[in-house]
Amino acid sequence: MSANNVTNVLIVGVGGQGIILASDVLSKVAGRVGHEVKKNEIHGMAQRGGSVSSHVRFGKTVSSPIIKAGEADVLLSFEQLETIRYWPYLSAKGKVIVNDHKILPPAVFTGQQEYPPDILQQIKECVPDAVFVKGDDVAGKIGNPRVVNVILLGVLSKYLDMPGEAYEEVLKESLKPKLVDINLKAFRQGRSLG
Amino acid sequence: MTETKDADVRFLMGNEAIGRGAIEAGCSVAAAYPGTPSSEILESLVRWKKELNHPIYVEWSINEKVAFEVAYGASLAGARSLAAMKMVGLNVASDPYLSAAYLGVRGGLVVAVADDPGPHSSQTEQDSRFFAWFAKTPVLDPGTPAEALRMTLRAFEISEKYEVPALLRPCLRVCHARQNVPISAPLPIAGVGPFKKDWTRWAAIPKFRLILHRKLNEKLSEMVRAEPECRPRLISEASGGPVAIITSGSVSSHVRDVAASDERLAQVDVYKVDMPYPVDAAALQEIVDSHEKTLFVEETYPVLELHVQDRRKVLGRMTGHVPPQGELLPDLVEDIMLSGLGAPTVAKPAPQIKARRPSLCPGCPHRPAFYTIKKVFEHAIYSGDIGCYTLGVNMGVVDTCLCMGASIGMAGGLARAPQGQSEHPVVATIGDSTFFHAGIPALINAVHTKAPFVLVIMDNAVTAMTGGQPTPANDYLADGSPGVGVDMEKLIQGCGVESIEVVDPYDHQALQETLERARRHTFDDGKGVSVVIARRPCVRMPNVEMPEERYEIGEECDLCMSCTRDLECPAFQYIKDDKQMVIDEDLCAGCGFCVQVCPSQAIKAKGSAHA
Repeated sequence: MSANNVTNVLIVGVGGQGIILASDVLSKVAGRVGHEVKKNEIHGMAQRGGSVSSHVRFGKTVSSPIIKAGEADVLLSFEQLETIRYWPYLSAKGKVIVNDHKILPPAVFTGQQEYPPDILQQIKECVPDAVFVKGDDVAGKIGNPRVVNVILLGVLSKYLDMPGEAYEEVLKESLKPKLVDINLKAFRQGRSLG
Repeated sequence: MTETKDADVRFLMGNEAIGRGAIEAGCSVAAAYPGTPSSEILESLVRWKKELNHPIYVEWSINEKVAFEVAYGASLAGARSLAAMKMVGLNVASDPYLSAAYLGVRGGLVVAVADDPGPHSSQTEQDSRFFAWFAKTPVLDPGTPAEALRMTLRAFEISEKYEVPALLRPCLRVCHARQNVPISAPLPIAGVGPFKKDWTRWAAIPKFRLILHRKLNEKLSEMVRAEPECRPRLISEASGGPVAIITSGSVSSHVRDVAASDERLAQVDVYKVDMPYPVDAAALQEIVDSHEKTLFVEETYPVLELHVQDRRKVLGRMTGHVPPQGELLPDLVEDIMLSGLGAPTVAKPAPQIKARRPSLCPGCPHRPAFYTIKKVFEHAIYSGDIGCYTLGVNMGVVDTCLCMGASIGMAGGLARAPQGQSEHPVVATIGDSTFFHAGIPALINAVHTKAPFVLVIMDNAVTAMTGGQPTPANDYLADGSPGVGVDMEKLIQGCGVESIEVVDPYDHQALQETLERARRHTFDDGKGVSVVIARRPCVRMPNVEMPEERYEIGEECDLCMSCTRDLECPAFQYIKDDKQMVIDEDLCAGCGFCVQVCPSQAIKAKGSAHA
């Protein structure tokens, strides 16, 4: 935990990957177990495929919704390249969870820019205990590509000291009834991977 | 927002908390125009209205000026009312707003204006607290979502007590932050009785305006005397140390955390001002005088700082200690606070990754419209506007973007300048909601003056960028109740436009032919402005059904890259190792436009026989 006994979780990725839902569930779980929670999210043009991040901060007292550089206890990245973009936020002992998935920026597929080739290797060298998840493959097996966010939330839950049941309760309350079962499955699957 | 209880705690976004505050204050009329980061204020009011079965009237107005006027009218007729907008919206509403400050209000009138330091989704970093000062109206500046709810209630009270519009200025980091917020049972619908005729006030001629200005000044003095929010309050432990910080609004929450996390900052007295205008300037001066140094950390202009008369011991924006532009995030706030103390700051590495630019969605009808405009008007000046379709800049089909509606007004001028007129025809593009917002007077002006340009209205039937709010062309209102859909073609006809055509942008040939006819009408035949409406609903709207069809790229592909460069469709991905272009089936929306325009005709429906 960072200064002031606040836990800082930074969730990053690309607009449209379901980051707002994942961070919302996490925040509600933290609130349910008695923490003060502050969260920041991104709306507007960045949601059209831009880089997005959601800051979640919880602890005894939390004032700002924004994490400082070097103070993220967990960096959960939904996309390889975005991990690097937000790397400066990671604290010295911070946990890194990366979805092994690439979303090519337009500048890459028009050939104006290279997608860095060996991101996962670089991460491994900096943080040997980094966790890599093939979230999109797992989601494919579960039968819905849209549940990657909840799979990753399941992985994340292993590294935060809050009961799995609390996540499941919040998921049940937050989702449309027809989506509950598949997301609970995704969450449990993710939790078993962590 | 699922269950109903009288008192409860909800995990709310700042904007939802403001909506809740309005409901709890007994507000009965709310009007807004969507704009990031303000849009969720009225959206949440719609949800609170339904959840509580509350009688509040809510509307998405045609623009912010009208939204303010609707709220103002309701206030004069006795209701507590709310207008909500982003900060550039207040520019649009500034004419009635400044006048209303003189005339005053009856029922409490709160104008919630969301600022966007950064800027993240806006044209400027203007400070609406400064605007409140300019207009001589009170402004409350919340630091958190929970405070935003409390301040909304206070803003109604202050507005009604002093009979003046009250501004509520949340910044982005309050609007889109979330926290657990205590909520209470709504007050009954508040009111100060029906409209009372008094032309010396509600229709004041200049002679009475002087009297009203004097009264307004008296109200401001009385506020400073009577309202605790005008005075700085200590939010840290009293340290007795030599340094003070004075802050306000969302940045105050960063200041508070930074001060608590660094021992070197323990000896700092941190003060927060809840109402930065009108502020108790004498109390600010007292803090400055009683400390060796006082640092002002506020966003985005030095409103509090400029209220200090003797600034010899002040550090802030006026002295260059706080950067004159950009958002104040915790890292920067830490640097500012440490350097203010004379302590060394820590260099922080900046990421070296290029920004990931947003793109029009796969299947977005604006993409084929832009593609075809560029094909037909190859060397045109493209006068652009504000909305999702500003992203046409990626395709090289947006050359200018000034403010809402400016595509049409500016096109009139771009087409008048004598320099290079013949080589560069002017084509303006604007979305349907932006056209209604501020494009109509500009179009009438263009017709009247025979301005030579082609206007393409990209009509996707909603205000898409901000989440799909209805426009005046929709036959339903903010809360889903029936309204009257305004006929866009008749409206344009009524403006006097002779050449109006409607076309589906997915149909490449039809769109091309339509644009060519418009070109002949305006440029070859010299008959003035022509209008093409490229009409197809936004693909993000839940009721829009997209084709199931998916496509693949055949051997004919010669890697000309037109699909990624000219169409800029995110569904195309070039696999470098295989030297192959592929279509990502999950991203593809099935619009099929690429099939029509691929130069080597290499794209085919999956499963269809190859030629």
